[in-house]
Amino acid sequence: MTSVSIYLILPYVGAALAFILGKMNQKLAFWVAEIVGAILFGTSVYVFMHYGETPIDIDYTWIAYGNLTLPLGIYIDHLSIVMLLIATGLGFADIHFAHDYMGDDPDQPRYYAKVLFFIGGMILLVIAKDLIGAFAGWEFMGLASYLLISFWFKTKSAADAGMQAFLYTRFGDIFLLAAIGLLVYFVGNINMVDLDSLAKAGEIDKTVAFITAIFIFLAAVGKSGQFPLYPWLMNAMEGPTTVSALIHGATMVNSGIYIVARLFDFYAYTDALLVVANVAALSAFIGATSALVQKEIKKILAYSTMSHLSIAFVGLGVGSLAAGMLHLMNHAIFKALLFLSAGAVIYIAHHTKDAWKLGGLIKTAPYVALFMAMGSMSLAGLPPFSGFFSKDMIIAEAITHGSPFVYTLVTIAGLLSIAYITRLWILIFLGEPRNEDIAGHVHAPGNFFIRLPLGILAFVTLGIALYQTDAVEYIVGHEIEEPHVKGLLVGLLLGMATLFAIVVGLYVKGMNLLEKISKHRFMQIIHQLLFRGYYVEAGITFISKNIVVNGIARALRWVDTYMIDWVVNATVPFARMIFRGFRIGHTGRIGDYIGTYAIGVAIIVVAILIIVKGV
Amino acid sequence: MSSIMLIFGPMLLAPFVYFISRGAEWVAKWAALALFVLLLIISVDLYHALPVGGGFLVLGDYLRVPGFDYALTLQVDALSVAMLILTAALLILVVFTSWEEKMQAAYFSLLILFAGPIFGVFMTTNLLWFFIFWEMTLVPMLFLVGIWGGERKVYAAIKFFLYTHFASMFMLVSFFLIYKQTGQMDFTMIKEAMLATPVLIWWFMFIGFAAKLPLFPFHTWLPDAHVEAPSSISVLLAGVLLKMGAYGLIRFVVEMMPATTMQFSMYMVVLGLTTTLFAGFLAIYERHIKKMVAYSSISHMGLVVVAIATVTYDGLSAALYEMIGHALVISPMFLIAGWVHHKTHTWYMDEMGGIMQKAPYISAIFVLAGMAALGLPGTMGFVGELTIIVSAIKAYGWWIAVAAIASLISAGYVIWAVRRAFHAEISPIVAKSKFDMSKPEFLALCIYAVLIVFFGVYPQPIFDIANNAFAMFGGM
Repeated sequence: MTSVSIYLILPYVGAALAFILGKMNQKLAFWVAEIVGAILFGTSVYVFMHYGETPIDIDYTWIAYGNLTLPLGIYIDHLSIVMLLIATGLGFADIHFAHDYMGDDPDQPRYYAKVLFFIGGMILLVIAKDLIGAFAGWEFMGLASYLLISFWFKTKSAADAGMQAFLYTRFGDIFLLAAIGLLVYFVGNINMVDLDSLAKAGEIDKTVAFITAIFIFLAAVGKSGQFPLYPWLMNAMEGPTTVSALIHGATMVNSGIYIVARLFDFYAYTDALLVVANVAALSAFIGATSALVQKEIKKILAYSTMSHLSIAFVGLGVGSLAAGMLHLMNHAIFKALLFLSAGAVIYIAHHTKDAWKLGGLIKTAPYVALFMAMGSMSLAGLPPFSGFFSKDMIIAEAITHGSPFVYTLVTIAGLLSIAYITRLWILIFLGEPRNEDIAGHVHAPGNFFIRLPLGILAFVTLGIALYQTDAVEYIVGHEIEEPHVKGLLVGLLLGMATLFAIVVGLYVKGMNLLEKISKHRFMQIIHQLLFRGYYVEAGITFISKNIVVNGIARALRWVDTYMIDWVVNATVPFARMIFRGFRIGHTGRIGDYIGTYAIGVAIIVVAILIIVKGV
Repeated sequence: MSSIMLIFGPMLLAPFVYFISRGAEWVAKWAALALFVLLLIISVDLYHALPVGGGFLVLGDYLRVPGFDYALTLQVDALSVAMLILTAALLILVVFTSWEEKMQAAYFSLLILFAGPIFGVFMTTNLLWFFIFWEMTLVPMLFLVGIWGGERKVYAAIKFFLYTHFASMFMLVSFFLIYKQTGQMDFTMIKEAMLATPVLIWWFMFIGFAAKLPLFPFHTWLPDAHVEAPSSISVLLAGVLLKMGAYGLIRFVVEMMPATTMQFSMYMVVLGLTTTLFAGFLAIYERHIKKMVAYSSISHMGLVVVAIATVTYDGLSAALYEMIGHALVISPMFLIAGWVHHKTHTWYMDEMGGIMQKAPYISAIFVLAGMAALGLPGTMGFVGELTIIVSAIKAYGWWIAVAAIASLISAGYVIWAVRRAFHAEISPIVAKSKFDMSKPEFLALCIYAVLIVFFGVYPQPIFDIANNAFAMFGGM
């Protein structure tokens, strides 16, 4: 119970404290955040260690209105604990790292307050029992993400990116809101645990289950950057790198996967999982191919995030909760490592984000290079790093249970990850510095605040690989049988080796060849297509700008001004016209009055005659 | 104290305050503040005196002459008390936000004058008196908009006055038709006496209240009036006057004629949804910051009508919550929009930009209120939207889920407004403006912010009132 109250209160109180104390002294903001982060992580470890036989399960009625009640319960089981450890652990590491990275920013109180608020939202999502609580956490994170992406709101691009992130994810979220309404009506229950067991027992109407599952998945698509709502994730890189690491790499973007995993039986009940698998496979391919050609460090990582989230979704989609969640966990850790390494690189190079302007940094920062290489190998899926186990498992599951479309795309995406991450690493660390100006100013990172979290994360990435089967067992509660696909491992490793060789060859020795290839017209078209993320952003912008705002809204505005309000305003001349008509009689001449009087009397007399005689 | 003094006390007090404070203007301000605090205390007291389990608390019965049906019957139930508390609270905050208004003696005397009839509207159940008080609220409003307003204040004030006055005529006709049919003028008596389904009465009354709400297509008076009114008066317009429409709709349309309402409820839902979406799109297209807020206000009132149209226990409770939530959410937005104009002398958001750098706290309150307007959990806006959608789906079926689109549209206009006016680089106009605010005004904004979050996290107190108010729909 204590742990639950800590989870529900401390992040927000901490956020307020960080802001208020930080206004007195900049440094206090960091220390408040550090302490709160440590307490939250400690609580998660405590919950993990002292977990009893049954989940922590608290029911609470939030609103009782009329004949309805809206619940807001708490439910902490193994799945929640894994997510809690990820959220608070990486949150703590991220806050620690920010000490140097955000060290010279004048707005630190605001920064730490928002980060703590974000962690609170993530915690709320993963410990919520009901969809309302989950939605609340979901939206808190959306708000925090918006506020942190546009943290440097002075620049137009950051403000734009924040707006875009909010609206894209909001587009998905309204479906979650609608799903809550529909579930209250059709099922009478929005408790996620009950929904799972009801679905398992077959007590929900199939159509309702399918439609609400798809609605919830649409929200997940927005939050986890899947096709077609992914462009916000790339532009979200406008925010501070520590924010990208925490929110847009390691934690918030996982919430879509988490909610599908939480409602896994509900999804498995209908064909909704099939939709998940197909959308995710397409997204994995788009993300992986687009990551190949990006220039900015963070954009490469963002596309790889998208691709890897999709791979985790595919794991769920082909029916393996364990594989999907395992990949989520592994990915969160190595992606935090990669993003923070990227942050260290950017910090070293004085906020240069373009990988093509760097090079040769291995001499300045050998440790960062080493840690990033470990993260990269894990992302690429090389044994014995953690990424290898989950990715291999998902591909095997996809080949066993998925359609050809799904497993082809996911295998390609899995293989390509080695290409783009090797390319990134080579561009940053090997070769000669490409930009003298930047190379002249690089400085080594500090130990305690920069290298320590990186080292720990690298260690965890390696260490957790030893506990993969335990982790799976912990999440699903029993041992699972991994599908064995003959020759898969050999094939994957061969493919990876080939791609690795090509990338190393091109970027280390064959820069001239690379230039020649990229000058080719056909390659340029492909390059543009990939670089722009398949023009999805352009399409969505076109629709929202030209159809919604300048189309529908403008037309309605015209209707409002020139039809509805015109009628209202037209009453004035109309009334004036009538009054003028009456005024004709008021001439002031006695003769006119007598004449009108006579006519009036005559009309009345005739009328009376007609009424009396006629009827 | 006799409860009739709640209505006529302020009306009698107003001229005295005016004449006394002509020499010392501060008197009017403090007199108004003291009076409104007193009204708030009495209203809260009334709530505790209400009968448990719903129903009316009879406060008094005046001017009862045998053979003459127009007695001034004063009785309140939880719905009216909720409105009284809201009105008194908003009036107090309005005093704070008008702290530095010009011509204070006249201004605050008019506010005091306004307090009387508005309490009358919510306290009487006699149709004739209801109508008299209803019309009397227009008079101080006309002057408050027409004298302290912006450039086109006279046009706006007259349009507002004539428009709502014209709509009231429909209401008056329907009251006479009711009298003709039942021979009664009091709400409680009519409810028992009305047997037939009065189609014409229903529509006339509906139009009367719909124009006040305002409901599409009777909404065009509102943006003009809000834009030209001083911000604090916009708060009264949105927070109290629009609520008169919703209150009337619940009390005299739904509670008096539930069967007829159910018969026509589909029209109400369609009109409510149309209002919500139509006004939402207009808000997206709007460059004018205060008009944007005004359309947002209309958009939310549309949802209130959707909730009222359910004619169910939970739907009406949700409607009452959203009425209060709307008042508290839209008020700071109006105040900040007006304040921004006052400081920059421009209405257009694309000429602003970067205000957050110069006035971070006030901008943050705008963002918070905007988040509430778009229905972010933890704020009042979310609770209202969620409960309305849930109860409307329950009453009408799955298709009402399209109402969720409203929260995407509202996200669109709020976030875009923040992006254009508050974020990004400082524009030339903003650069040369000084963004200061008097302490009482800022205090009022903070109170709004706290209330929005408090009742958003812990909404049950308001739903307790609502559950008390609509208990008679419990069995339906």
